[in-house]
Amino acid sequence: MGSSVISTSQQSEKSPENLGALLPVWTRAEKIRTGISLAVIAALLGVAFLLSSSDNPSNAPISLLIGASLGLLLERGRFCFFCIFRDGIEDKNTTPFLSILIAIATGSIGYAVIFGQFLPDTTTDRLPPAAHIGPVSWVLVLSAFAFGIGMALSGACISGHLYRLGQGYIRAIPALFGTLIGFVLAFLSWNWLYLRAIADAPTIWLPHYFGYSGSLIITFLALIAIAQFAIRKGKNSEPLRAQYTGPISIATSFKRAITDRWSPITTGLLVGVLGTIAYLRVEPLGVTRQISTQARTFMTDNKIGDETLVGLDRMAGCIAVISEAITNNGWLIIGIVASSFAAAFAGNRFKPALPTVRNSATALLGGILLGWGSMISLGCTIGVLLSGTQAFALSGWVFFAFVFLGSWVGIKTKLHKL
Amino acid sequence: MSISRKVLAAAAVAALFTSTGVVPADARPKNQSRAVAQPDWLEQNIDNPNVRIIEVSTEPGIYERGHIKNSIKFVWHTDLVDTVNRDIISQAKFTELAQKAGISDNTTVVLYGDKNNWFAAWGAWIFNIYGQKDVRVLDGGRVKWEKDGRALTTAVPTFKAGNFVANNPDKNLRASLAKDVLPVAKKTKIATLIDIRGADEFSGKLFAAPGFQELAVRAGHIPGAINVPWGSNVNADGTFKTVAELKKLYADKGVTGTDQIITYCRIGERSSLTWFVLSEILGFQKVKNYDGSWTEYGNSVGVPISNPSGTIWGAA
Repeated sequence: MGSSVISTSQQSEKSPENLGALLPVWTRAEKIRTGISLAVIAALLGVAFLLSSSDNPSNAPISLLIGASLGLLLERGRFCFFCIFRDGIEDKNTTPFLSILIAIATGSIGYAVIFGQFLPDTTTDRLPPAAHIGPVSWVLVLSAFAFGIGMALSGACISGHLYRLGQGYIRAIPALFGTLIGFVLAFLSWNWLYLRAIADAPTIWLPHYFGYSGSLIITFLALIAIAQFAIRKGKNSEPLRAQYTGPISIATSFKRAITDRWSPITTGLLVGVLGTIAYLRVEPLGVTRQISTQARTFMTDNKIGDETLVGLDRMAGCIAVISEAITNNGWLIIGIVASSFAAAFAGNRFKPALPTVRNSATALLGGILLGWGSMISLGCTIGVLLSGTQAFALSGWVFFAFVFLGSWVGIKTKLHKL
Repeated sequence: MSISRKVLAAAAVAALFTSTGVVPADARPKNQSRAVAQPDWLEQNIDNPNVRIIEVSTEPGIYERGHIKNSIKFVWHTDLVDTVNRDIISQAKFTELAQKAGISDNTTVVLYGDKNNWFAAWGAWIFNIYGQKDVRVLDGGRVKWEKDGRALTTAVPTFKAGNFVANNPDKNLRASLAKDVLPVAKKTKIATLIDIRGADEFSGKLFAAPGFQELAVRAGHIPGAINVPWGSNVNADGTFKTVAELKKLYADKGVTGTDQIITYCRIGERSSLTWFVLSEILGFQKVKNYDGSWTEYGNSVGVPISNPSGTIWGAA
């Protein structure tokens, strides 16, 4: 996939003598690393095979495979929302930002195709099943902003922490632990917020007013406007394609796929396609359901907080269920971490670094904000920002705007350098 | 001339039925082969225009991600009930719904769903209340169909409007608190009440089974009711037990079908499966489903209950 960036335009200039020098040399270490990574991928496929049983059909195997694909995409495309925002805000490099816009564009086409079959008539009050279309109120504004601040403090969003865990980023552990605490706090505050604002908040779904084609046009116009703004702001933007001038071979292609960062366009397209597949086969992409399920089950077992979370089970999003078992979303997360590790290890990006007390503390604090923000928003940058905007939900766009604002404030106030 | 036309029409109808394999809709008593559609039969009749397949499942999105070819979806909690009056769907609304689904008087309606055909049975009960003659439930429902590895599709069919017109609701199939249930509880009328909830709900140990939020402020059961949990009607794979097994199951509890029977649960959905078994499979003539069920009965003022566990709402 990443090999598409290879250019052959200058091949004719190469003389046969230095051609050999340009061919990549596979060191012994690289071979071992790649072998281990392939073994991890094979193990993932093996687990998916074992999970697929005709006696007890479930979505666990496909969820694991979707997670594995997502982990690969996040790691190879560096599809980390906070890193992308920081590149743009701090370094004035907005090229990576385009991957988010392309993911929304591609996914919205896929969603429109599926929606057209799931819910042909958009004029009724019905919403397409399970799509992440949430209520819009000041609570969403607040929780999205808190999530943005949490990203800056902890260094990544939730999906970012998950895939960076696969790269050996140990600071992700206190951050994810903080996320669990944040979920508990969110469950404790949910009933109060629900009764004050969320219950009466409108759930605005664009196709209800503009149909699918109208909504697609609006989405694309918005994306083009944001892209134009981003490109203008990108004074130090890196070029879209790293020029590759060497000869093509299986080895170079393979090596580039595992060592070079994938282009934002490739990454965005594939994330959009994966979102479409996930919605068609299982549920919209999202990474917080299993983590919040963990928190909610812990609370139920220990009798913390209210037994009933009012209205929550009628909402669409990454909603926690009370369960001791691994949900589909749990398999997805296992897939993300394992395949991110495989991708990082093969490319020699697996670099565990011991966190300090100080940066563990900021990660924990940021994680709490991530957990609280994503639970109250009914999802995170994947579940609401991507899966929501792709599904033409206003909630997705509001979340996008205020997560960005939160990150912007966090970066400007140097929270990420604490 | 008119006679020969009638003969011709009858012959045409007969030819149609033999060619399509549809058993003509008989009057009661019904039996298993009439009321339960086997997956093999459904597969052979999947394109039969006189068969209309309807999925009534509880899990959102399950129909959209794949359903039996040519099946349409009814949403039980909005399509089949009147949410304002807490009532079953009105006669006029049901006529509209069925016509839109391309159902005519002679259509064989086959319902299926998730969770042991839970709401598919509710759908079958509603169709019977409004007088559709040939209504069947797919054996094993959705789960068995999937386990067998049979095909699913995401294509949603559309049909030319049918001519079905709902009859007046059949009062013999539906029990009400004032007219049917309370007189039995107070022993001024004789009928067998079958409580199909779990044993702990029946005994009053639990106010609601885990996972159910709708509550009654009292626990226990209607005085005189017997307890036959709904799950005992089906095998592990969701298919109905054999007629002999079902007959024995109910005979052991003293239910032979001679007296009036009233089935109930929490809101009348699971008990519609037991109604289906007794009325449509075993062919008992006098079976009513009480859709008010425990959420109405248990909450009603001045109405006696039996609560062997002695639990009191709110008391420690």
